[in-house]
Amino acid sequence: MTATVTTPGRRRARIIGRRAVLPWLFLAPGLLLALVFKFLPMGKGVWLSFFDVRPFLGDQWVGLDNYTRVLTDHRFQDAIGHTLVLGVGMSLGGILVGSALALLLEGQARSLKIIRTAVFLPVVTATAVVGEMWRLMYYPTSDGLINSGLGLLGLGPVPYLDNPDTALWATMAMGIWMLAPYNMVIILAGLAGVDRSLYEAAAMDGVSLWQRLRHITLPAIRPALGIVLTLAAIRGLRVFTEVYVLTGGGPAGSTDVWMTRAYTLGFTRNDIGGASAASVVLLCVTLLLTVTVNYLRKRGDVR
Amino acid sequence: MRDRRRCTAVRLHRVHRLAATLAVSGLLFGTAACGSGSGSARAGDPNTLEVWTRSDPESAQTYDRVFAAFTKKTGIDIDYQPVMNFDQQLQSRASTKDLPDVMINDTALMGSYQAQGLLKPITPASIAGHDEITAKSWSSTVGRDGRHYGIPYSRQAMTLFVRKDWREKLGLPQPKTWQDTLALAKAFATRDPDGDGRKDTYGMVVPGSAQNGYVAWWGSSWLWQGGVQILRKEGTGYRPAMDSAAALRTVTWMKNNLFCGDNGVIQPSALTSVTANTTNFQDGNAGMYLTGPYNISTFDKALGKDTYEVLPAPAGPAGNDVLADGENVYFGAKTGKAKQEQALAAFLVSPEGQTLAMTGDHQPVVRIPVNSTLSAAKVRDDPRWSVVQKAYETASVQFPNAPDFAPVKQDTADALNAIFTYCGSDVRSGLKELNDTLAGDLKDQELLK
Amino acid sequence: MSAPAIDPVRTPVTATPARRSAGKQRTTPARFDTALGWSDRPGPAWALRVLLCLLALGVFAAPFLTIFSGSFSEKASGSTLSFLPHHPTLLNFDVAGQRGIWDYFGNSLVIAGGGLLLQLAVCTLAAYALARHKFRGQALVLTLFMLTMMLPEEVIAIPLSLVLGHVPVIGVDLKGTVWGVILPLGAWGFSVMLLTEFMKDIPTEIEEAARIDGVGELRMLWQVILPLCKPALGVAGVLGFIMIWDQYLLPLIAAKDPTDYTVTVALSILRTDPEVGSGVVLAGAVIALVPSLIVYLLLQRSLVTGIAAGATKG
Repeated sequence: MTATVTTPGRRRARIIGRRAVLPWLFLAPGLLLALVFKFLPMGKGVWLSFFDVRPFLGDQWVGLDNYTRVLTDHRFQDAIGHTLVLGVGMSLGGILVGSALALLLEGQARSLKIIRTAVFLPVVTATAVVGEMWRLMYYPTSDGLINSGLGLLGLGPVPYLDNPDTALWATMAMGIWMLAPYNMVIILAGLAGVDRSLYEAAAMDGVSLWQRLRHITLPAIRPALGIVLTLAAIRGLRVFTEVYVLTGGGPAGSTDVWMTRAYTLGFTRNDIGGASAASVVLLCVTLLLTVTVNYLRKRGDVR
Repeated sequence: MRDRRRCTAVRLHRVHRLAATLAVSGLLFGTAACGSGSGSARAGDPNTLEVWTRSDPESAQTYDRVFAAFTKKTGIDIDYQPVMNFDQQLQSRASTKDLPDVMINDTALMGSYQAQGLLKPITPASIAGHDEITAKSWSSTVGRDGRHYGIPYSRQAMTLFVRKDWREKLGLPQPKTWQDTLALAKAFATRDPDGDGRKDTYGMVVPGSAQNGYVAWWGSSWLWQGGVQILRKEGTGYRPAMDSAAALRTVTWMKNNLFCGDNGVIQPSALTSVTANTTNFQDGNAGMYLTGPYNISTFDKALGKDTYEVLPAPAGPAGNDVLADGENVYFGAKTGKAKQEQALAAFLVSPEGQTLAMTGDHQPVVRIPVNSTLSAAKVRDDPRWSVVQKAYETASVQFPNAPDFAPVKQDTADALNAIFTYCGSDVRSGLKELNDTLAGDLKDQELLK
Repeated sequence: MSAPAIDPVRTPVTATPARRSAGKQRTTPARFDTALGWSDRPGPAWALRVLLCLLALGVFAAPFLTIFSGSFSEKASGSTLSFLPHHPTLLNFDVAGQRGIWDYFGNSLVIAGGGLLLQLAVCTLAAYALARHKFRGQALVLTLFMLTMMLPEEVIAIPLSLVLGHVPVIGVDLKGTVWGVILPLGAWGFSVMLLTEFMKDIPTEIEEAARIDGVGELRMLWQVILPLCKPALGVAGVLGFIMIWDQYLLPLIAAKDPTDYTVTVALSILRTDPEVGSGVVLAGAVIALVPSLIVYLLLQRSLVTGIAAGATKG
């Protein structure tokens, strides 16, 4: 796929010399900013995970103590399951609903433009306010917005967030709601790149809608889907804000995820070493997951 | 201050007028000129104190007035920095070994700060006017080694806010005991106190989430009233006391009557509520709220002064003690400037300093004055504050200040939230588990006896 | 729904004339404009689409009526929702203004505008290298960029605060300047990844043709590659703007004084301020969402307008 000029002969050596430096020139600003403002602090964060952090008295090396403490804490262990359910559910739901929205709202008519903008509102609203709004929509009595809707269907009020059995699913629904329009935008950009003449040709050949989606649209939006998937791999397990603004991890820890636990450790308990260790564990898992997703994707591309 | 002025060209608040142009190139020019003016330039100046408070911009304006008065009086300059993410900023300054001279922050943080070596010990006698602070207030700043590490600055205690109009309409008396409270809550929930013909009112507001330890913060008053101590002092250390008979009795009562009892005694979603999203009282659909006095101005605006009353907390089996907390003045662990710091502290706790901090157009930063010559009700010209002051002086208990209480509070909140959520759960085993966790917390701090 | 204008660039390449003449009855071009082949003529499919659009609006947009109505209500309640304002008033916006929301809003505009320009420039350059050049360590570099998104910012807050106070090597203090917020946002893994993926999809032939004409690298990027990945640039612009606008911790860390705060920080202050009600918070939220929405509206065109289709597929 990538461009390589294959000029034969002596010109080639000179060009390769220049071309070897060139990409690094283009990468330099990004790598430099990332190095100073991301990797440097990040390295320090990883470093701190091996210490009992006491900035003023001097940090004390504790080896892997922070890690064993985090990994043997039963509240962290409980959070693993919630994190997986929530991360996977939100990511997949977000991709499916986002794709559906993109397919539905694709087009250049003005009315579609307005609808797309309206549907995008969940992405641009402050997350804390969204959380507050959903708390009210989930109001557990029949006065609640969703419950009064259920009431019309003759269904009893559901205590969405109050019940430890339903709270995680309720959180997931809000997560999908916030994520889907975000993914929609990316997928729309992918759809814009599809060669329209292929659709017309397909129509002439009388292929079914499904075949058309499968053989024309899907291959063309592969980059967009790849991005959405990678994004899901990076962000899925890091789920935090949605939980924090909606339930704070409750009731009874039933929506506690890895990051809310780490946050509690670092902020309300002032255990910076422990919070760093918990984050490094998450970082490693995320990195592994992202690399795997990308590997599978590349293999899919080649095939 | 001077250094900061120099950089106004790039300072955001000036630049925003140009916002529409988004002129990045213009900003480029500015940065090159600015940038070297960091805090260290002022640090050497013996006549300037760097003061940090954990404040939002509104309360920062009140502090501005207080410090301006101090500078006018003493000639000592204040480099004042209101910080919102206080602990983060403090940690990053701590790692450069350059702390602010004076900090004003929560009482509950003293144990943690002392354990990290961030604070300078204080001799009360060195602060002019120290005798105007009560022994009770001073006792709350004693650290684990028996020395003082803070100067009391502002205090508050919880009181019960009750919808007076509702209560009178239903012909019920002011609640004096837990039983009264429960009966009143049930009446508020079932007897349509707002008269709209709909069952849309609740008895009491509870911020019952474990997030930031809220349920422990709210619930501690009930624990004190039931005769429960979370930690018991023993010699130079502590023992967890959540497996006591009193704890079992109290937590069981709360669970059965408030959380798992009749619908409507507390507001829906209580178990995931924090104070910021618990607005049922000011929205007029809940009748009682046990909380701090900082809400008075909110409730006045939302409900009107006459619709509600501020009452001392109703008594449980062991009395009507409530949780007290507040802010202390801390001195950063660095040398020099002791005289200036002491002068500032003396001003802050003086009648003048305290009065300034309790009044003005912006958010007050002192609730109940620590200076015993002052009356909160008189300064504010509002008799309801005497209820709060009396609760603080005669019937309040602070969280233990010597240990780092944050983990203890968080673990207690996690356990209580779980016990109150699962109505069928066994309270005894829940508390036993909590007690073991607390023992672990104390052991980590080498305070377990 | 009106029929879309056919992109003049596209027409010559789009349909093979042979096919078009051989075709059966010619339907409206709209049929070929979307993946699902939505028709813009009333009919069962059209009705279904309208119904689904209404459903999407109901689910994703209707809840916002409660935010809007709350922001205009004289007494907004934090514990019930309503779709219509009680006694409509602008009071909440006044109070938000008194709390300085417009100053913070201005800060946010400068930061988001400058930050987005820098971010787009930096990420486009990096993506161009990653997508259109082959070199050793390519996969590693891309992974490094993605790594920047992986560590929670809370964990790096304290070390980052130190870096901002004293940037290594050059020793500048960025705190209290807009650069303290803008520079750390310059390299965003997401934009790099997105632009790389889309640039990769541009056929080599186009580039080679330009190279034969003697086009240099920067001109190649600016005049050949970028116009072909407008949709991706649109996405990077919209989502990048929102990402910068939503920053909460970074502006706090980089601030030296409350006047440096951004509107996102101001919103969280309003939420915990016992003196203002939920109506003011909602008014703040409404003010805060407007710029992102405008950016979305402006860039929306590039998101959905097909790029000279056919030209991209070799």
